[in-house]
Amino acid sequence: MSRAAASTSSGLGRALVAVYGVFALAATARSLVQLATKAGEAPLAYALSAVAALVYVAATLGLAEVGPSPRRLAWAAVGFELVGVLTVGTLTVVDPELFPDATVWSDYGAGYGWLPLVLPFVGIAWLWHTRARD
Amino acid sequence: MDGPLPLVLLVASLLFAAALLVYVVLDRTPDWGLLGFAALIEALTLVLLVVAAVRVGDVDLSGGRLVTLFGYLVAGLVLLPIGFAWSLAERSRGATAVLMVAGLAQAFVVVRVMQVWP
Repeated sequence: MSRAAASTSSGLGRALVAVYGVFALAATARSLVQLATKAGEAPLAYALSAVAALVYVAATLGLAEVGPSPRRLAWAAVGFELVGVLTVGTLTVVDPELFPDATVWSDYGAGYGWLPLVLPFVGIAWLWHTRARD
Repeated sequence: MDGPLPLVLLVASLLFAAALLVYVVLDRTPDWGLLGFAALIEALTLVLLVVAAVRVGDVDLSGGRLVTLFGYLVAGLVLLPIGFAWSLAERSRGATAVLMVAGLAQAFVVVRVMQVWP
């Protein structure tokens, strides 16, 4: 039996959007402060912070079903987020010198209670759970 | 920041989150009591913002740390209203859990304010 895609912003999804929203707010604010006050110190780390902020904003909007094709936006954002946290996490463990100032994805997000590592898995699981089925 | 205000606010935010956990477990919808509790936290946060603004001239805080401090204080003012707006649009366990997330984020904001204040 086929079934249309379920809402990603309803039920459990509502709480997930709230968590992503907190990360979007925090990452955006942190990135703006870094770029405004000490952009020259660690350009790579701060550019990465800005990218992470955009990814969390995109994931929040996508899961909250804002915009023309929110499900596609959400998939792209959580996919990028997973690749980002795994790549940056591995790089910071292998070569700590690469990012002199911490980013949200450093050490797999250990500085944020590992939530940055857990979130993309939850996000992908939720998008999969609410997908259209035939 | 010295004085009991930040600590009171931190405990209140954690109690709010804990109360929400009970609501989520029992599948109860948010009521006027919770809204009043949130309003109290909101008022205390506003007082903290005013106290910080009045006393910031007396302490050694500059540049990025100053922006960070008031960034957190302003975030502390918007978290619960946005949380309620997002939560009350739906009646479900997940929607109630949104308020728990907001309460925990509020507690985190207060901890950061205490850390940034010299």
